[in-house]
Amino acid sequence: MKFTCEKNNLTKEISIAQEIISSKNALSILSNVLLEADNNTLTIKATDLKVGFETSIPVDIAVPGSTTVYCDKFLSILRSLPDGDIEFELKDGKLYIKPLFKKINFQLKSIASEQYPEMQSIAEENYFVIPQADLIEMIGQTIFAVSDDETRYFMNGVFMENIEGSLIMVATDGRRLSYIKKNTAGTVKPFSGVIIPPKVLQLISKQSSGEGTIQVAVTEKSIFFKFDNQTISSSLIEGQFPNYNRVIPESQSNELTVKRDELIEAVKRVSLLVENKSRRIFLNLTNGLIELNSEESEIGVATEEIECAYDGTDTLIALNYSYLIDPLRVIDNENIKLLFTESNKAITLQSAEESDYFHIVMPMQLD
Amino acid sequence: MKNKPEFSTRILHVDLDAFYAAVEQHKNPDLQGKPVVIGASPGKRGVVSACSYEARKYGVHSAMPISIARRLCPEAVFLPVRMRLYQAVSAEIMEIFTAFTPDICQISIDEAFLDMTGTDRLFGSIEETGMLIKKTVKEKTGLTISIGAAESRFLAKLASDFGKPDGLHVVEKGSELDFLDQLELKDIWGLGKKTLERLNDLNITTVKGLRDFSENSLKTIFGQSAGGFLFRACRGIDIGMYNTPAKSNSISNETTFQQDINDRDVLERVLLELSHHVMFRTLKENKKSKSIAVKLRFSDFSSTTAQKTLSHYIHSAEEIYSISIELLNSRWNGSSSIRLIGTGLLALEDGDKPEQPELFENEFERKIKVEKAVFRLKTQGEKITKASLLNNKIKPKKE
Repeated sequence: MKFTCEKNNLTKEISIAQEIISSKNALSILSNVLLEADNNTLTIKATDLKVGFETSIPVDIAVPGSTTVYCDKFLSILRSLPDGDIEFELKDGKLYIKPLFKKINFQLKSIASEQYPEMQSIAEENYFVIPQADLIEMIGQTIFAVSDDETRYFMNGVFMENIEGSLIMVATDGRRLSYIKKNTAGTVKPFSGVIIPPKVLQLISKQSSGEGTIQVAVTEKSIFFKFDNQTISSSLIEGQFPNYNRVIPESQSNELTVKRDELIEAVKRVSLLVENKSRRIFLNLTNGLIELNSEESEIGVATEEIECAYDGTDTLIALNYSYLIDPLRVIDNENIKLLFTESNKAITLQSAEESDYFHIVMPMQLD
Repeated sequence: MKNKPEFSTRILHVDLDAFYAAVEQHKNPDLQGKPVVIGASPGKRGVVSACSYEARKYGVHSAMPISIARRLCPEAVFLPVRMRLYQAVSAEIMEIFTAFTPDICQISIDEAFLDMTGTDRLFGSIEETGMLIKKTVKEKTGLTISIGAAESRFLAKLASDFGKPDGLHVVEKGSELDFLDQLELKDIWGLGKKTLERLNDLNITTVKGLRDFSENSLKTIFGQSAGGFLFRACRGIDIGMYNTPAKSNSISNETTFQQDINDRDVLERVLLELSHHVMFRTLKENKKSKSIAVKLRFSDFSSTTAQKTLSHYIHSAEEIYSISIELLNSRWNGSSSIRLIGTGLLALEDGDKPEQPELFENEFERKIKVEKAVFRLKTQGEKITKASLLNNKIKPKKE
């Protein structure tokens, strides 16, 4: 195998590969990235056995072939080299890395590509197409609510399902829940609900430009994404996602509207003196006013009042302040609405204008 | 600022003499004056939990394997441990103490510190107070107790041991060193076997001899904390004993099997029972926890502990059980023989700490409610046992 390519083009792809590879053992093939040169295209593959990544870039090929090298060092070498074209050649089991017109010579030991684990793949006709921007928004509105409690493995991912032509994503850790529904005008192929690990969704959010479309295919065990010359696949989380419809309040009698940024800033300030383990912050809702209160602790106490539109009964609500901040950060409107019935029932946070998403939070005990 | 009381500090350490055995002897007068050994049945594996003074004369002591006790004192009456009975008697005695002082710190089933500071006018001198307490306990329960009095808990505890049984020893102010010098090094509370050996190696055999060493040299030889302890202990300076109420940061229960076990059904049933004990005690102490640990000891005496921390508080025995099973499976191949199994909750937190309720009805939520109801009934004296804990012949069908 022998090919030449521009440093920055390759470095960009190898750095993604390195993000997927979880093994840091130099002797394991799972720490390696696979390089395959053929038809003036270099195909790059990386996997941690759960998430698979495959991309291709145009290169000048002198001799086709394939190999795998230790991705961590390969990336460090590429980053260290000066900009410009680099020649790669596989000789005697070693990958020679030589920038053109320079007296630099790296030799990296390789492992034959035949030993590399087979990547998952799926036939072209299984893919459906949605706008990249839609998928990115769906991920952004839900991914933060995923549980990291391994005993609730079925909540360790974002649930995605297709209901009557609409694509729905839901994530929950059992105490708060985030929901978004996108109308896809029937382009989405039917599939039964799946739980997607956050790692692959983070990767897609990072990689996609947000423009154009993305192809998605879902099987019982895996999910595939294809966009801009790359294929990213992931195994799914097996298990039964909780029946989320049960916890979405049918109606809430009280409604409050407040400036999003003012609320975020106030919560951030008051939370400085909130007890760190429980993270409990108090919201005292009165006519036209929210009083945020940290509760007196050994360190001190913080309160702040902000104006809001509210004319319901006076209500005191206790919340984990992260459960308040997380959704506020992603609600894409300068005004947000807070809906609730009473202080021990789930509250809803959403954009003041109609939107495809909402966030439900279970309040904490008041005493 | 509060003014310091003008009274000098007076601490009593009260120790119930050979408590388990004394309770048994009192309940059954036939046993009085006879050697009584309480613990596992002879012939089975296990250790002596307690024994009467009569049995001690034969060299029997607690923690000794029951088989050895049998050899030393074959005529002894061997009885099983009746913990519930002892607990009830202990509670009765502690109740008696409340008539003397509100400041009681019970440190075990048969020991307590009573702070009698400023009670001179009520009960007279400390000797008179001690006699009165001893007399009251004897009258009301028929049991004898030993009392030590001093200005610190540490010395009071040493003094009660010194006068045992049925003793009353007062360490007067100013005579602390004289008192200590009558003791052997091994009598110093908190001095372990290893440290004793090391002291012996250094040719330090008396409390007085120990006082010849500077704090620095003791710390150099024994390390910072043990050295500091020795320096203070041999001078009768309070070592900070139970200054705050004994705080258990974990609650666990374990069982040593009569014969090594490799039968999964038995192990699981024992774990379920232990889980119930642990949950019950945790609720009783108004604690909660997110961490569970399972301890195993195999027939070759190798031990292992597996633990798991959840992101939510554990409120039901069922949940302790289900995670304990998971932890058991992570450390047990399903065939090696197990000698001891235990489970417990770690990193206990205040049970009243604010909690984040769940959106979804937790699969254990219903069981939590049952658990709390059972707890209420049990504390009212009802007897409730899980069907699966009953040793019945008919096993429920597994699906």
